Amino acid sequence: MKKILRKLNRKQAVLIGTGVLSCIIGLTIHGIGGHMAGRLEDQKMAERWSEDGDVSQISCFFSREAAMTEDNFISFEHGLDSALVEASIVNDSENEQARLWADAYSAPGRVSISSERATVEVSAIGVGGDFFLFHPLELLSGSYFSGSDLMQDHIVVDEDVAWQLFGSNDVDGQIVTIGGVPHIISGVIRREDSRMAKEAGLNTSVAYVSCSTLEELGTSYGVNTYELVMPNPVSGYAKTYVMEHIGASENEVEVVENTTRYGLLARFKLLARFGTRSMNSKAIIYPYWENIARGYEDILALLLVLTLLFLLYAAVLFTVLLIRAFKRKTWTAAGVWHVVKDKLERQREKVWALQKRRKAAREEKKNRKKEAVSERIEIKQKEGNEEEKNEKAD
Amino acid sequence: MNEKKGRRREWVKTAAIVFLSVMLVLTFFSNTIMNYSLPEVAGQNITSGTITSKVRGTGVVESGSLYNVKVTESRKVLSVEVRQGDIVAAGDVICYLAEGESTELQEAKKTLDELQDAYEAAVDAYNLALLTGDYHPDVIQNAGTNLPISAYKDQLTGAQAEVNAQQSVVDSITLQMNELKKKIGLTSDASAAEWQAVQAAAAANVNSLSEAVADWSVSDGNAALSNKKKDLENAQITLQNVNNIVNQLNTLNANLADAEALLAQKQETLELLRTSIGAIFNLHSLYDGIAKAREAVAEQNQLIADLESKAAGGTITADVAGTITAINVVAGESTSPDNPVAVIQPEGKGFTLSFSVTNQQAQKISVGDPGELVNSWWYNDVTATVASIKPDPSSPNTQKLVTFNLTGNLTAGQTLSLQVGQKSANYDNIVPNSAIREDNNGKFILVVETKSSPLGNRYYATRYDVEVLASDDTQSAVSGALYGYEFVITTATKPVEAGQMVRLPD
Repeated sequence: MKKILRKLNRKQAVLIGTGVLSCIIGLTIHGIGGHMAGRLEDQKMAERWSEDGDVSQISCFFSREAAMTEDNFISFEHGLDSALVEASIVNDSENEQARLWADAYSAPGRVSISSERATVEVSAIGVGGDFFLFHPLELLSGSYFSGSDLMQDHIVVDEDVAWQLFGSNDVDGQIVTIGGVPHIISGVIRREDSRMAKEAGLNTSVAYVSCSTLEELGTSYGVNTYELVMPNPVSGYAKTYVMEHIGASENEVEVVENTTRYGLLARFKLLARFGTRSMNSKAIIYPYWENIARGYEDILALLLVLTLLFLLYAAVLFTVLLIRAFKRKTWTAAGVWHVVKDKLERQREKVWALQKRRKAAREEKKNRKKEAVSERIEIKQKEGNEEEKNEKAD
Repeated sequence: MNEKKGRRREWVKTAAIVFLSVMLVLTFFSNTIMNYSLPEVAGQNITSGTITSKVRGTGVVESGSLYNVKVTESRKVLSVEVRQGDIVAAGDVICYLAEGESTELQEAKKTLDELQDAYEAAVDAYNLALLTGDYHPDVIQNAGTNLPISAYKDQLTGAQAEVNAQQSVVDSITLQMNELKKKIGLTSDASAAEWQAVQAAAAANVNSLSEAVADWSVSDGNAALSNKKKDLENAQITLQNVNNIVNQLNTLNANLADAEALLAQKQETLELLRTSIGAIFNLHSLYDGIAKAREAVAEQNQLIADLESKAAGGTITADVAGTITAINVVAGESTSPDNPVAVIQPEGKGFTLSFSVTNQQAQKISVGDPGELVNSWWYNDVTATVASIKPDPSSPNTQKLVTFNLTGNLTAGQTLSLQVGQKSANYDNIVPNSAIREDNNGKFILVVETKSSPLGNRYYATRYDVEVLASDDTQSAVSGALYGYEFVITTATKPVEAGQMVRLPD
């Protein structure tokens, strides 16, 4: 190595140095991108749902004209069950209660929440199904609620709302009223306050209520999101199934496969759509988590470009250096072969010598053991003889 | 050369010292550094106890039998003496009314005047029609009585039969005359002058033949005379016949004239009858109009009498004792018969409250279950019991309407939230709801397990598959391979996976 380094002139050393650095930077950027994508818990439902990676998370975003209701999703769920049976996808878990799929839907809106202390008007997300399975928000106290709960009068609020209503964050179990009807605070969450989150729609206080509460006691802007995690036996099966059966016309819905959206292929596709991605012909308002996810898609596409540039620089540089080195080579293929052969011979001899030494050591050890055993037998024999003599004497 | 070697040794020494220092720091703080890289988890121990699933709902308190205080007239209110929520006894004044007749009475009297005018106008119209019309005497005789249609039909048929009979008489005479005319060589349309001319001609023929017989001379011969006499006899016979026929014709002609006159009269009667029957219906309707107008006047008189008898006088009083739940009038405005002046919740009558629940929620409730008020600290003496669980008429397939009987210090119209719970059951393993997680292998909890190491305790999150047996608002009872004292993870600063190392809060 030292010899090689000594042979390099200053210019070559600098070039190789920049190539190595560029390669490291490229890989680091790639790693950062992967880390960023990995932090988005809203997009990782499939990972959480199955360790085997055989499920896919699908999100559907609807325009208001689609007028989706809970009944649409109930009918879709029934269809999904029979489709999975038809496709011979059955639950092989030991737990009989285990489910093959889980889903959630949500609608944006506004509600007015009152406690004995104050009344606040906040943005609300009316949720149905297992919304919090898909969105594991950081709980400061309490728990989430689910669409399968007996009572649908629970709410989850962020710490700002909790503070305004009660002056505390530890308020789970407290009763508030929405439209005059008592509701129980099930949990308090920490609202993400990054720049991206604020721009995405989390710039004001938010409360998560059941869809029925939002529709009956608040102002609902209509269901705009349906999320599903379901088996994906072959690539694209889940997305295609949802697109075909969700029951909204193509210009009223956008279907996204969250599981693969940050994959390398998806990022390349996104780059290919540069310039046309921002064009929107559908009247769809994305929820904040999708806005964040789309933001990260853009960032990751940019990081991919940077990664490619750095790696390309390193690759071109090393290729050029290799070609030049090959052209100026002072060695021949036969010479290299002999050197390798010699080294292998030497190595083999070393191994043989080592084996010989070990064999000799083992034999010596055996001999010593034998000697020791024969000594012990002799001693025992002597002792036996003495005892016999003593008995006779007695 | 030696200097160079010395410098290298120095450099190696420095590098070794730095490396060792770093390793030392890392060794001392490795646990701390590792701890900070681990997710911090919060949780609590599994407990045993009871779980009670509760169903909550909000509804409006309704009175079993509200009493509406009503007035039958619109009178101006001078002053209202009670307010909503006041307790009144029977006979207490609710409001004072201004003096004067009610708007309804004034209106009724005005209507009576109009109805009387209408009655008189109807009578005049009838009389005018009766007197000025050209009616058959029978019609006038029957005016005012509603004869059946068959009676008019019989009258018409009779008149028509008479006309027909008279026509046949005329026809018979005409036929006889035609035959007689034919006998004397006349056509059927020959007139009296013609048959008299025939009579005159026959007489003239007899006269001329008589003269010829008288003028006979011997020179003419006997044969001629006998011929002439024979002709004369024939002419006399003819004259005799003609005279007879003419006499008959004259008689028949006179009869025909009489018969035709009678026929014309009968036809005239028939026509008159036809015209009269058309008008009789008009007369009858006018007569009915008089009857109706008379009835309307009588009814209006009765109405006025009723209104005068029901007139509230100067006050409106409470008919029953109870609590005023609504007052619908204000001083200066008028009362209205459509709206009750006040609504009274009678004393001692119960309240009910209903709300809709899902079928799943309804399964947790039974008739007779006691209900609790959600904000019970606001109400002291209110008790609620489930009275009925019936399909909700608005969505009978998915919803049930639960009705409670309420007693206590309540007011109709008040909104109340009630909760009713299934009987509590004891469970050995109870965890907070936030501890229950789920994936495609079912529901599970993460339990913190401790492993001792030379550098202290290490904590691992271990997965336990569970089945949720029952849940309430904050806790769930679970079954699984649990001892009952494990520490379950409820929240964590980062997502925790099964088998992952975690740290507990300091």
